Amino acid sequence: MFDFMIAGIEAPILLLVLTGMTVGMVGGFIGVGGGYMVTPALIVFGFPGYMAAGIDVTHIAGKSVVATIRHRQLGNIDWVLGLAMVGGTMMGVEMGVRLLNYTKDLGLSGVALLAASVAIMIGLFLYTQIETHRATKRITELAKEGKTVGRELKVSRIPIFFQSIALKPIIRCHTARLVVSMWVVVIVGIATGILAGFFGVGGGFIRVPALVYVVGTSTHIAVGTDLLEIVVSGGYGALRQYMSGNVDMIAVFFMIIGAMFGAQFGSIATSFVRGPAIRFILSYSLVLATVGAFLRLVYFLTGQQHTFINFFAVVFTLGEMIFLCLFILSLVWFSVRHRHGKWVPGWIPALVVVKE
Amino acid sequence: MAVSFKTKGAIKFVVWAAIAVALSVYLWVEYYNGTLVSWYYYKAKTAGWAVNSETFKDATKEKPAVLQIGTFPKIEGLQAVPVQKGDRLPVNTNGIIDDKTVKDGKRVSLEGNTLKVTVPSQIKESKGFKFRDTFKHKGVETNPWGGLWCVCYILALGFALGIMAEGFTDMCGLKLEKIKHYEGVH
Repeated sequence: MFDFMIAGIEAPILLLVLTGMTVGMVGGFIGVGGGYMVTPALIVFGFPGYMAAGIDVTHIAGKSVVATIRHRQLGNIDWVLGLAMVGGTMMGVEMGVRLLNYTKDLGLSGVALLAASVAIMIGLFLYTQIETHRATKRITELAKEGKTVGRELKVSRIPIFFQSIALKPIIRCHTARLVVSMWVVVIVGIATGILAGFFGVGGGFIRVPALVYVVGTSTHIAVGTDLLEIVVSGGYGALRQYMSGNVDMIAVFFMIIGAMFGAQFGSIATSFVRGPAIRFILSYSLVLATVGAFLRLVYFLTGQQHTFINFFAVVFTLGEMIFLCLFILSLVWFSVRHRHGKWVPGWIPALVVVKE
Repeated sequence: MAVSFKTKGAIKFVVWAAIAVALSVYLWVEYYNGTLVSWYYYKAKTAGWAVNSETFKDATKEKPAVLQIGTFPKIEGLQAVPVQKGDRLPVNTNGIIDDKTVKDGKRVSLEGNTLKVTVPSQIKESKGFKFRDTFKHKGVETNPWGGLWCVCYILALGFALGIMAEGFTDMCGLKLEKIKHYEGVH
């Protein structure tokens, strides 16, 4: 047990390091900060709610730098796209926070916000699942025909519409191989930023699908570019949280040490898989987070009387982190087995890369 | 003679590991010499009494803690210093008992030149989670420059750890190539 002087609690260092590691792995792989998983975990460890949110966002900023460096090495970052989006994201986050305060003034309850977040997450989950199933089916068909399949395959037609908008200035994203109106990128940044600010999260789980399905980047580039966004938005969040007195730097330090190992593995693991595999795990993380949020919604709607529901919500959130890590580990393991010509389940070949 | 890939990786790893260790030691020293704590408990956000809540955390209604009021530069034990909004806080302060709480009288009451604390903590609930609400952190304002320091530090540490890890994999001979996003793979 370690005495966190500023947080005013005693908590085990090992748990903080492990939490950082698991969330780092998931975040490095699917390009999210993981705030919706870390905050409940820190509260379970005994940190006050406000301190948990502050430690979470500050560690996300540092962890994203670690993951961004690795994704840069793997060529997963489109700097032009990322920098074009940053301004819109920041503006959106600020607008989201103000919108949240406005709706609170109007008397819109936390239950309504929670219900809206559940609806958005389910919508994203369903679309990603359907699209990814179609994409993997197409990969399997192409492979059976003996054709070479790219690392990325999407069946969504939405990006074609957005890329056809010819409003100047037009930006050329060389890494993402995109020519798209700057306005589309900025508006995507603002829209995802508003949702992130409104729901009080980093927004990776909204921004990655938006980059893939609206802007039209490959999933790997969406992950790397989103992590670059999180460095900026997380840094801004850390500044605000520290100034609000919600950060114990030593707790952040232990989490970053764990996240360093996890983020390395998560980032490198992306080189073993195709785009649909990342989208699959992203959609599962969405639905699992939704179930956690739904349980909390039920807890509120039942007048906060059934504490076991809240307990299940916490257990579910912690279990989700472990499940996602195991999913990523198994994908890498099966990819290695597949490379060596060993048996793998039938759904694996469409998701992993054997050789380039 | 050209330096090999692994040697370059080893140099990168050692240099950035040293920087990461230096940053870690620096944080540790600043945490334990009280600098970070003094930035954290910097100014009074509200009028009331600056206290060290650790000194009376075990107080009960049957066995209340009695805090001596005075203008002490450093709070030692059961002492309370009256402060106005915006005042710099005395050393060892970790919370403010505000005027409203004292007037309310349910948790703390003013008795002559002393504050009598009977309920140092209570269970509250926020966002579905129960937590212990104490006087710690209450009514304090952090040093705004501390926020800038926090962001710079965390980005620097992340950068050092990231490059160190890159150096480590290079040193181990695991040269990670850029992913060929647009070429066929099997």
